[in-house]
Amino acid sequence: MAVADYKRYLAENVLNERRTVTYRSLGRALRVHSTLAKQMLFDFHRNENNKKPNSVNATYILTGIQKAPETPSTTNGLQDSFGGIPQSSPYISSSMPNQDVARDEIAMSSVVLVREEDLEDAKATFQSISSIYIYSLQPTVLQDLNVLTDVAGEMIAKHAQEDPLEYGKTWGMIQGNNVRRRTGGRPPVPAPAQAPALPKATIPAKRPVKEEETPQPKKEPEDKAPKMETTAKREEPPASKPTEKTAPPKQKGSIFSSFAKAKPKQKKEESATPATSAAESAEPSAAEDVVLDDASDGDEEPEELFRDSGKSASAGTRESRKEREERLRKMMEDDDEDEDEEMPDAAPSPEESKPIDEPPPPKQAELKEEVTVKGGRRRGRRQVMKKKTVKDDEGYLVTVEEPSWESFSEDEPAPPPKKKPAVSAPKGKPAAKPGQGSIMSFFSKK
Amino acid sequence: MASSDEFLRPPSNEEFDAITRVPSHYNSLDTFRLGSGQDRHYQQQYGDMYFLRLAKLKPAVEEIAVEAWEGFSIAGENARRVERVLDVRQGELCWVAGTIYMDMPLKPNILDDLTKENYTLAPPPRPTYQDPAHPELTQIMLEDESGRLRLTGSMLRNTQLCTGAIIAVLGTENANGDFEVIDTKVPDLPQQPRRWGNDTLDAPKGASKGKIAFVSGLGITGTSSDTLALELLADYLLGYTGGTSGALPDASAITRLIIAGNSVGASMTTDVNADSSTKKRTGPKKYGYDASAYNASPITRLDSFLAEILPSMPVTLMPGESDPANFSLPQQGIHRAMFPQARAYCAPPPAGDSKQEPSWFDSVTNPWEGDVEGWRLWGSSGQNVDDILRYLNFADEEGNAADGAGDIEARMRVMEAMLRWRCGVPTAPDTLWSYPFQTHDPFVIQTCPHIFFAGNQPQFKTAVIEGDAPLKLNGADTEMTGTDDDNSSGPRVRLLSIPKFKETGELVLVDTETLEVEVVKFSTFAGQQEQQ
Repeated sequence: MAVADYKRYLAENVLNERRTVTYRSLGRALRVHSTLAKQMLFDFHRNENNKKPNSVNATYILTGIQKAPETPSTTNGLQDSFGGIPQSSPYISSSMPNQDVARDEIAMSSVVLVREEDLEDAKATFQSISSIYIYSLQPTVLQDLNVLTDVAGEMIAKHAQEDPLEYGKTWGMIQGNNVRRRTGGRPPVPAPAQAPALPKATIPAKRPVKEEETPQPKKEPEDKAPKMETTAKREEPPASKPTEKTAPPKQKGSIFSSFAKAKPKQKKEESATPATSAAESAEPSAAEDVVLDDASDGDEEPEELFRDSGKSASAGTRESRKEREERLRKMMEDDDEDEDEEMPDAAPSPEESKPIDEPPPPKQAELKEEVTVKGGRRRGRRQVMKKKTVKDDEGYLVTVEEPSWESFSEDEPAPPPKKKPAVSAPKGKPAAKPGQGSIMSFFSKK
Repeated sequence: MASSDEFLRPPSNEEFDAITRVPSHYNSLDTFRLGSGQDRHYQQQYGDMYFLRLAKLKPAVEEIAVEAWEGFSIAGENARRVERVLDVRQGELCWVAGTIYMDMPLKPNILDDLTKENYTLAPPPRPTYQDPAHPELTQIMLEDESGRLRLTGSMLRNTQLCTGAIIAVLGTENANGDFEVIDTKVPDLPQQPRRWGNDTLDAPKGASKGKIAFVSGLGITGTSSDTLALELLADYLLGYTGGTSGALPDASAITRLIIAGNSVGASMTTDVNADSSTKKRTGPKKYGYDASAYNASPITRLDSFLAEILPSMPVTLMPGESDPANFSLPQQGIHRAMFPQARAYCAPPPAGDSKQEPSWFDSVTNPWEGDVEGWRLWGSSGQNVDDILRYLNFADEEGNAADGAGDIEARMRVMEAMLRWRCGVPTAPDTLWSYPFQTHDPFVIQTCPHIFFAGNQPQFKTAVIEGDAPLKLNGADTEMTGTDDDNSSGPRVRLLSIPKFKETGELVLVDTETLEVEVVKFSTFAGQQEQQ
């Protein structure tokens, strides 16, 4: 698109907004090859300075072979002294021939960043120059070249959603043929300094999937969808938040209210196309939230499953049952994979702190207790909610919480006083953080 | 100089061909990988490591000693082989093998710490364990499971030794009960596999031109000042720098980048310590993650650097002294959770017993051993070299203090010595923190690497060392036997001292066919603006 537009882009950015533009930021903005971007910078620099001298300042990159500095610490000097190793060294003696090799000249090439003003001085330090190009353009002389790193950081933040695997070729990046990338992982947490960026993982990484995960190449679309679901919501642009915010309270009270957050989103997903879309990757955080809610194992899978079965009821035409089963199986595998990446102190997602008015999930651990004290020892039974996973007639795994009795006996009569407060604690502070906002809240001063 | 005009001209309409990187053949060995959490135990005694090492290396060194000293005689007295150091008889010419132990005045000593009731804080790093004012306080001893023998003699003054090395000594016990050393022998280089080792199937047909890139000491502190050279490095690795021809080595030939430690600068850890001591008094005590005391920007910056180059090239990342990994050797790989962006390129965690394919982004141990392009690599982030240097005194030989050119010489010799001792980290567990291994000593180098590197050295330096050719002299027949040790020319090892990138801006490239070394230096030109 952009070959003609570069003059306008550069004029706007460099002359009007007085920003620094590097060949890489230009290349990314216009999606052109790095060589072309360098030529554009050169052309712009020449034209503007012809019109009005010193209106644009440049920095250059010089590559080539530099003259050896005169200091004795050059490689040449070193190699000479290597030849003069005292014979006392007992290990060298058996291997004298090595020294010929060691004396070989080590090819040393340099990449030097230079200001426009210093270009000639810098050229003088080179024995031979293999290439010169403009690294950046800016309206005035850069006092501190390190400013250029900010430009690069900005550029990366701005174009973070562009998958380098897809666009790298356009930029002139050397292509790695066997790049393996996992698509299932959760998207990267953006650096605090960076603008809200779409997670890279939402872009289907076609190449790696095709080449490396060959076992199920045909199932790629289905394969991708469930994987995306495990991605957390936290990276979504804030725009999509409000709609979800209103949803959760509706579902309260039900035994499945821990899935409450999932349901509204699943409707959203249905409205979206089955293919991977940004909306779909918005859905999954429920799974993660629930995992954080009750830390018991194995929760994640059944809940996702349950949600999925609900979806199938309402959107039966979407996929064949077989495909769904395949997806579920994959999802469970993925969950397993992801479990060890669960970072308890990961940045709290914006969502987690939202459902403040939501009651705690109905997971009263102990419903009743029958205690008998015999000889200083407490024995008894107590009713606990146990998770039970059964396969229903459709072949889905359904998790139900059922009250069941378990017996216990303990030496010290501690549990009842201990447990009761634990259960009632959320009530004492109802508005506290039922959704377990951030782990920081645990450490904060009470 | 046609290529210099390639960029200094108006935009053209030419089409740019996609450049493809030479593929990498890579296999990381788990030599130094410890078991997961509950499999690591720290109750064991460290002594076992020395015995394991001695048991492993004693046969090797004795074989060499027999070769050299069998029939050696002084004044009609034949040198006798003695099994244990305590069996040495006074006045008798004999030789014995054992572990070197050096007692030095400034060496940190756990017993001192305990008697002074200083509990085990990490001792402050010292430039040397020698006390120049009292050289006589340095004692060199030879020990094995039976006891210790103090070594003396002028021979030792010219021999570089450090704790943990296994050697054989020839001499006699004098009237003081000390052992007068006449000669020493080391195990020398172990067997070196051929290129591509056993899995010759992996070897690509025909010669592929490739390069392995090494860098260490990126020292990212998260401030903008240290990242400009890193930018240039990333540009180069991605192929944005330079033209199609020229002096610059072709970046597309680089098959893999190996980062040898200290990617994160020191300030991340030290500043936190300094801050926390003052903060503790003021605010309410907080536990766990304290966002105000933890500066995440270095690791974030490292993450984005990795995420930038990973789409184009595979990376092997070794932890170093200043990196967020465990401190004791072998350091385990930096957890991928530290790299939210780059970890997408990690291989998935192994599922079940299936063999895990190597990661595109491989966070490995330090030290690390692996096969790259068929060559066996053995490298560390430099702690082993630094620590051995504290035992040695090169000043009197070189005539200057241990810095500058003399220092880098010493470092190369230390690296060679380690290979010839067949022990990559001899001073662990004495003065380098180490995991207490019980069943094996992974620091013993079992197979001779082709490339032996140490990161975070003050300067770049390379050399090639050679072992003796195999002693079987039946010439061409040796090819027929097909065993690995029948290299026609004996082992050859390329030693690499990889400089700190933060200080030198140097990237080391090793050719995968010839093992020739090149250096690319990234810098900014300090012009008049800065010099004023």
